[in-house]
Amino acid sequence: MKNSAAIAKSVAERSAAAPRREGRRKAGRRFRFGAAELLTGLAVLTVVFLAACALFPRLIAPFSPTDMNTAAILQAPSSIHFFGTDYFGRDVFSLVVYGTRDSLLIGVSAVAVGVLIGGTIGALSGYIGGRTDTVLMRLIDVLLTVPGILLALAIAAALGPGLRNIVLAIAVSSVPGYARVMRGQIMTIRKRGYVFASRALGARPSAVLLKHVLPNSLAPLLVMATLGLGTSILAGAGLSFLGLGVIKEIPDWGALLSQGRGYLTVAWWICTFPGLAITLFVLSVNVIGDHWRDAVDPKRKGRG
Amino acid sequence: MFGIQGGKQNAEQKKKSRAVYPLAALALAVATALSGCGAAAEGGTAQAAPGGAQTSAPVQGGELTYALATSPDTLDPRRSGLAVSVRVFSALYDTLLVRRQDGSLAPSLATEWEASGDGLSYTLKLRQDVKFQDGTPFNAEAVKYNFDSIIDPDTKAANALALLRPYKSSEVVDEYTIKLNLETPSQAFLGNLSQGMLSIVSEAAAKAEGEDYGKKPVGTGPFKFASWTENAEIKLTKNPDYAWGSAEAKNTGAAYLDALTFKIVPEEATRIGGVQSGQVLAAETVPPQNVVALQSDPNAQLLQTNTIGFPYTLFFNLEHKPWDELKARQAVQYAVDIDAIVKTLYLGTYERAWSSVTPGILGYDESLEGKLKPDPAKANALLDELGWTKGADGIRVKDGKKLTLHYVDGSPNREKRNDIAAMIREQLKAVGIETEVEITQDVATVVYQNWDYDLYGNSQVNSDPHGLTSFYHSTKEGDRRTLSGLSDPEVDKWLEEGAVEKDEAKRAEIYKKVQQYISDQALILPIYVFPYTVAAGKSVQGLAFDPFGYPIFNDVYLQK
Repeated sequence: MKNSAAIAKSVAERSAAAPRREGRRKAGRRFRFGAAELLTGLAVLTVVFLAACALFPRLIAPFSPTDMNTAAILQAPSSIHFFGTDYFGRDVFSLVVYGTRDSLLIGVSAVAVGVLIGGTIGALSGYIGGRTDTVLMRLIDVLLTVPGILLALAIAAALGPGLRNIVLAIAVSSVPGYARVMRGQIMTIRKRGYVFASRALGARPSAVLLKHVLPNSLAPLLVMATLGLGTSILAGAGLSFLGLGVIKEIPDWGALLSQGRGYLTVAWWICTFPGLAITLFVLSVNVIGDHWRDAVDPKRKGRG
Repeated sequence: MFGIQGGKQNAEQKKKSRAVYPLAALALAVATALSGCGAAAEGGTAQAAPGGAQTSAPVQGGELTYALATSPDTLDPRRSGLAVSVRVFSALYDTLLVRRQDGSLAPSLATEWEASGDGLSYTLKLRQDVKFQDGTPFNAEAVKYNFDSIIDPDTKAANALALLRPYKSSEVVDEYTIKLNLETPSQAFLGNLSQGMLSIVSEAAAKAEGEDYGKKPVGTGPFKFASWTENAEIKLTKNPDYAWGSAEAKNTGAAYLDALTFKIVPEEATRIGGVQSGQVLAAETVPPQNVVALQSDPNAQLLQTNTIGFPYTLFFNLEHKPWDELKARQAVQYAVDIDAIVKTLYLGTYERAWSSVTPGILGYDESLEGKLKPDPAKANALLDELGWTKGADGIRVKDGKKLTLHYVDGSPNREKRNDIAAMIREQLKAVGIETEVEITQDVATVVYQNWDYDLYGNSQVNSDPHGLTSFYHSTKEGDRRTLSGLSDPEVDKWLEEGAVEKDEAKRAEIYKKVQQYISDQALILPIYVFPYTVAAGKSVQGLAFDPFGYPIFNDVYLQK
């Protein structure tokens, strides 16, 4: 008994390791130096810098984001105020730096919650199959019929303003996508030889799911989550732009855009820089996500 | 759809950077567009815009397009609750009286008026040459129908009801003479007859349409109703029979314009941009930053008039601790720098308010101007005296409770009121008061039902200081309370005296006492007097405003 379980384990490990190694080798081949790699490198640097802004805004911002210097309102960008000042006399650069935290928080937590819920539903649906699959997927189909931004708007409007509600709204609206991808992936993986082998050797279904099927199904979901991060931040900025967001001392990028848009013709810098911050971040995340997607794409095998 | 395109997106797509280019291009385009706008606004020549109408012979014909910031609720003056509706009423309807710029009353549909000795009734003589736009005659019966229907609960009258009180009944003396009876004497009553909400509607049309009358209005004004497309536009056409313009209008005959179209354009930038690009000829409520830019625009003019009534005022809720204490309220008054707020947010285009009423209202107390000066040291001393001590985070604490102020304001951000809240929050933080700013779309519930605020702001266009009653007079159990929640028999007595005092000078003195009391007791923070601003193309001539800030369309013509 003991012996057979041990054999099963080692067989399963070997079979599970095989596709992973394959992925890594391919990924290595993709990381040759070139324009695309340079772009990815820049994107990584941007994301690291923005993450630093979110974690340690005090070290980067030259002013307090709440300090209203009414003697210096609506000043154009200068060597003192890199991004100018807004109509309260607040330093726009400091506001953008401090606003990073909530903007990223919305994006990251919305993706995390969305992946968690969507991934779980997809995994259960794909692995159990049968009636469970039918019921869960029809529910997901219903959600899929509603455009994501509309769903998020409706949820945010129903729940009222607040960081948590924005995160929930965006997360729920992204669930169907994650669930679909996860289910498809699980259904492919569970028919692989190493899964059958592991089953045949008597491993419990839950153990097979957790040890073999899940780890090998995650890659596409993670790529999708990376790309979704940009979309989530954009959606979060959109919701707070529309005023469905949080009313707080330090506005996030979307709220900054919204506050500055009335001044577009007289003080372009108030909403241009938060807008650029959003663009830069979403762009960087997409570049990284694209790169990663290509790296793990089985269809590209042998082409690189 | 969030996220979904990531997983499925073109697995066969070879160039990974392809997806990047459109985004980069977009970013560039946006940046270019933005800097372009900035340059255009700054590059205008420094020619000063003329303040108002130029004098030359009026031109007949043409259509004036006038962009409104919000949509009227109804075109039935009896049932409306919005100032924006009154802007349309001023074209569609006439009132019995009008108000001159100096505040006195002038004839309009009524030519003469007389109060009875006891102040309980007014006899009005009416014009005899007036017809409604549906052809029915204007007479004493029409006035009686209007006022009786306002006090009829089935009509569900809105602001008109408050303005008409204490009206009781009408007696038709002859076809063109009417006697209006009141429940109690009221010095505000006659003046209220000049307000647009008490415009006279056609009885035949109102009865025929019933609840739908607000969509098919018929008045006696210089323009008649043509069509209303919800949230888009209201079209009016010239009333060719009009020949009874009030003594205050320059043009007492038919309008110069053939048509008047109100467009509803809520987005500030679009509204003002529409004037600059010529899509509309005029647009109301110009944001301060655009006022400054428009003044140097050679193709546009800026018209501005201050409104009268009660300025934008922040009311303390006297029923909430610790703001029931005078010293606590005074501390807030000393901590808040209203001058800095008004100058910063409105860039010198709004006047700062000093009292509970605006200049131009009977009894306005000029001695209050300059009285309240910010003094954080005094604010700190007062709070120390009350036993509030600063904690580690800089916020004051007493008996384990933080000193917080619950500041409620409505959404959307009308006249930058939310930004006032943001500035006050910073200023109060400096003396150790924590301000929780709640922005709600549902002011009706939060403020007027739950009374869940420590500080809430409100303003009102009005013609008479009697309106102070609705803010500071005590209320009976079961009645709707006031925003301040003040209950002081002395103030009640003054307000009741003011309502009936016939001698103008004595009446002014009474309302001065009320204003001084409000100031001494630190009941409010008066913030700004709202100016009604209109951006207009250079061709628009003759546009003037009544003392309430409502446009007079009959005088407008388009210079070719």
